[in-house]
Order: sequence, then structure tokens, then C-alpha cells
Amino acid sequence: MHYMVFVKMSEADLEPPAALVEAMGAEMEAGFANGTLVQVGGLYATSCRTEFRVRAGEVTSTDGPFTEAKEEVGGFAIIDVRDHAEAVENARRMAELHAKHWPEWVGAVEARRISGPGDNPSPGA
Amino acid sequence: MASEATRADEAARAGEATRAGEATRAAVTAAWRRESAALVAALTRMTRDVAVAEDLAQDALVAALEQWPRRGIPSSPAAWLMTTAKRRAVDYFRRTETLRRRTAELGRGLVEMEVPDLDAQVDHIEDDLLRLMFLCCHPALTPDTRAALTLRLVGGLTTAEVARGFLTTETSMGQRLSRAKRTLSESSAGFDMPSGAERLQRLDDVMAVIYLVFTEGYSATAAAEWTRPDLCHEGVRLARILARLVPGEPEVHSLQALLELQASRLHARSDAQGQPLLLESQDRRRWDLLLIRRGQAALTRAEQLAASGRPIGRYYLQAAIAERHASAARAADTDWTTIAHLYDVLAEVAPGPVIEVNRAVAHGRAHGPEAGLAVLEAIPTDALAGSPMPSAVRGDLLSRLHRSDEAADAFRAAAAATRNVAERRLLSRRAEEVASGA
Repeated sequence: MHYMVFVKMSEADLEPPAALVEAMGAEMEAGFANGTLVQVGGLYATSCRTEFRVRAGEVTSTDGPFTEAKEEVGGFAIIDVRDHAEAVENARRMAELHAKHWPEWVGAVEARRISGPGDNPSPGA
Repeated sequence: MASEATRADEAARAGEATRAGEATRAAVTAAWRRESAALVAALTRMTRDVAVAEDLAQDALVAALEQWPRRGIPSSPAAWLMTTAKRRAVDYFRRTETLRRRTAELGRGLVEMEVPDLDAQVDHIEDDLLRLMFLCCHPALTPDTRAALTLRLVGGLTTAEVARGFLTTETSMGQRLSRAKRTLSESSAGFDMPSGAERLQRLDDVMAVIYLVFTEGYSATAAAEWTRPDLCHEGVRLARILARLVPGEPEVHSLQALLELQASRLHARSDAQGQPLLLESQDRRRWDLLLIRRGQAALTRAEQLAASGRPIGRYYLQAAIAERHASAARAADTDWTTIAHLYDVLAEVAPGPVIEVNRAVAHGRAHGPEAGLAVLEAIPTDALAGSPMPSAVRGDLLSRLHRSDEAADAFRAAAAATRNVAERRLLSRRAEEVASGA
């Protein structure tokens, strides 16, 4: 089963310290080596973002940056895991790396299962 | 009333505690399983005994299950587990050493055995892991046992999970794994990293085991056996691991490509009623695009390596065929000419009746039903005795030539040959259809 792991953070924090970059690099290498990591990506700042909002049958668009938002998705990883516990362990490790190498950072790492044609009826079980 | 409510509360709390306990256990096990292959591999190098290595890794898991729920999972589980296992390894060496000393004192002179300085040993995770894969797929073991041991030691599955995968009991799987480890301990020659021609041969063995793991899962019907660990997924994963460990061999990347591509179609293989669907009838929207892209990327790597002169073989050809199917948006868009050509080469590299039947299908699509029949007719009649496949393909080719009576006979023969009820129904229906000129 596939999961998407999001890293969410404040826009002010887009430049991670070198130690974290290095540690994340090693973590990704390990993920590719053990066959769990499918794809990773970092997202540019919201100044490069356009959003279409739909409300009451009307579409309006807004260009970034979005200063009012507290937390933005800054990066993601798609992982291929055996079960929910394995996805959680992957996310936990990513959170631990941020805590260790960027102690002043405030943010969140979230693991969400990606729906697919082979889903069993009880996701997360 | 009050006491009943209290009891209910207590029961609820106990239930929560159990659930919390299970969640913690699952978290600890997931953290351990992620590290277990590297752990067992390094310990095997240190102790030169895979059974001892596995025991030490299990000891580390027991210690983790005791300590992590209280103290939390350490920020680096790998380092924690390795330190714990090394400490136990030193104890093990001391015990062995004491035993040797006593034995030696009784008999001939004292033979010194140093407790190795485990902390001074450099980590060679990749070499260790590859050596462990070679060891699990050692020629002294049967192919099934190689697959089971690989799932246990490289995949990090529990014995119970491996047993479920092979539809056997935990006890008998445990015995099989113990015997396998004993065999390996006794034939310690297999421990060193093979080199030269032997390395290529052993690499072939490892690839065959990974392919076996995958096909074992592929032949299981997903709906009825959803508690069975997903051996297809384990197979793909092992292939990915091997591709990172042996990045220079095109066949290794080809194997990964083949399994990614086959896995991409797993969920499209049957309809809503669970009836099997042939490739041409599958809903291609149910194919997993992520896996298809991974398969294509692995195939490209194989082709780049092949261009620099490394040999390719049957995995490359099978993967290339699977890729041609995967890149056809509709069944009608299938590039049968290329597929027929790839089957021609595959038939030379890995001759066999099953490939000939598939080659007949491809030629029938690419160059017309007569071309397909010509390939089919050349297969010795007893080569696939008992299989419905040649008759079913013959029926299909004959029906496209409007030789209805012969086609109906072929479909009837195929229906009589299959043991699968759903397949028999399908083939009988086709026999009736062609007989009635539908």
C-alpha cells in the first residue's frame, strides 16, 4: 500500500540547516535501498502558487504568496509499505530527524494512505 | 449500579491499555523490522553463523519490546539495536570461549580464542546484506526453503508470517527454517562472497528466488486469502533491494522492472465477481501508474547498462514484453509486432512450451491467426499435457479463421482440461458461442 507523507511547516522556515539536509539525504538513500521510498519532492514557496477556489458554482483564482496560512506543505514522500505501522515508523523517523537537526523548527509530519484499486475495506487496519 | 459502572470503566480502560499496548508493539516491531536485515547481516559477518546472528537480533527485539514502550523508540533504532546485539554477541563469544577452554583443558592443550573487538569492526552494510542474500539462496537449500529463509531474514517477516505465505503451519515452517540454518552452519563454505563466474550463477539463484516469491503471491487469489502476507509486494521489495546492491547488472534491474510492471496489474486481474480477467479485458484504469513508471525507469537502467556491454537475458525480455503491454492505453493499441519479436528472442534464450504458447498468441495478433497456429502446431503435443492453455489459444486462433467446428472442439478440450471452475465456465461458453456461429 502507498502512503503520502507530508512535511508541513511555516513559510518562514523554508531553508533547512545543512545537518538536516544531510540527514534527510541519508534517510532517503536508506528508503530507496530498502525498497520503501517511491518518490520524494520539495515544494517551492507559496509565491509560486496559484489557487482556484470554488464556491456557489463560481471559480475564483488567487496567486500566492499566502501570508495568512500558518502551515504549508513544504515537502512530500510517497512510500510503498506493508502496513500502517510501517508508514507510521517512516513518518516518525522523519519527524525525529527534524527534531534532532533543527530544534527550533515547528511543524508537522503527517502520513496519509493513498487510495487505490486494491484497497481492502479497512484502511489503517 | 456504581460497582457495575466501575467494572465497565475498568474493562474499558483495560481494553484501551491493551489496544495501546498493541499499537506500541506494532510500532516497535515496525522499527525493528526496518533494521532487521542489516542487523542480521552484520551479525552474520561477525559470528559467521546465521542461526546465532538471528538469535542475537531476536534478543535485541525482545530488549526493544521491554524498553522502548517505557522510554520511547530511540531516535536511531539502528544504532540502539546494533549496540544491544553486539553486547549480546560479546556474551555469546565469552560463553563459547569458556566452553572451549574447559573442553581444551580436558583434552589437548589450550587453544586461545580471542573475543573479537566488535566495536572496532567497520560497517559494510551493503556487502553484508548482499552476502546474506547469497547465503539465504544457497544451493545447499531447496528453492522453496531459499524463498522462506529470504523472507524471514532479508524481508524481516516473522516465522508465522512466512508460514502463512506458504500456506503451512508455524511449527512446520519453524522446523524448516531451523533445518535450513543448520545446513548453512554446517556448510560454512557458502559464507564468503562468491566471485567471478560463481557470483553470476549465485546471482541467478537469488533472482530466481525473488521471482519465486512474487509468483507464489501472484498465484494466490487475493480475495480469499487477504490475511496472507502479500508475497507479490515482498517480491517487488526484494527486487528493489537487490537492484541497489548490484547496480551494475542489467538483469537485476530487468527483474525489478518485470515485477513492478506485473504488480501494477495485480488489482485489475479479476472482475467485481472475482472472475479472472485476461490482459485484453482488464480495466486499464485499475493499473497502478506509479508502479508502471517505476518499472519503466528500471527497464531504462537495464537498457543503459546493456548498451555498455553487460549481458541481458530472460528477465529483460519478459520485462520488455510487460512494458509494451503497459504502455498501450487500450488493448487495441498493443504493439504486437514488437512483442512477437521479443517472444522470438525469449524462445531462444529460455526455450519452453509455455513461452511457445505465448509466442503463438503474439504471432497470432501480429501476423494473423495462421502465423499463430504455425507456432502452436510446432509444440510437441505432450509438452503441455493436461494444461488447457494450448487448446484455448488454438480455439481462439481457429475462431478468428471462422473454422468454427474445430474452434468449438478446441474450446471444449480446454474446458475439460482446466481444474478451475470459473475458467471452465468461460471456455465452455466460448465453445457454445463459436458452435452457434455467434
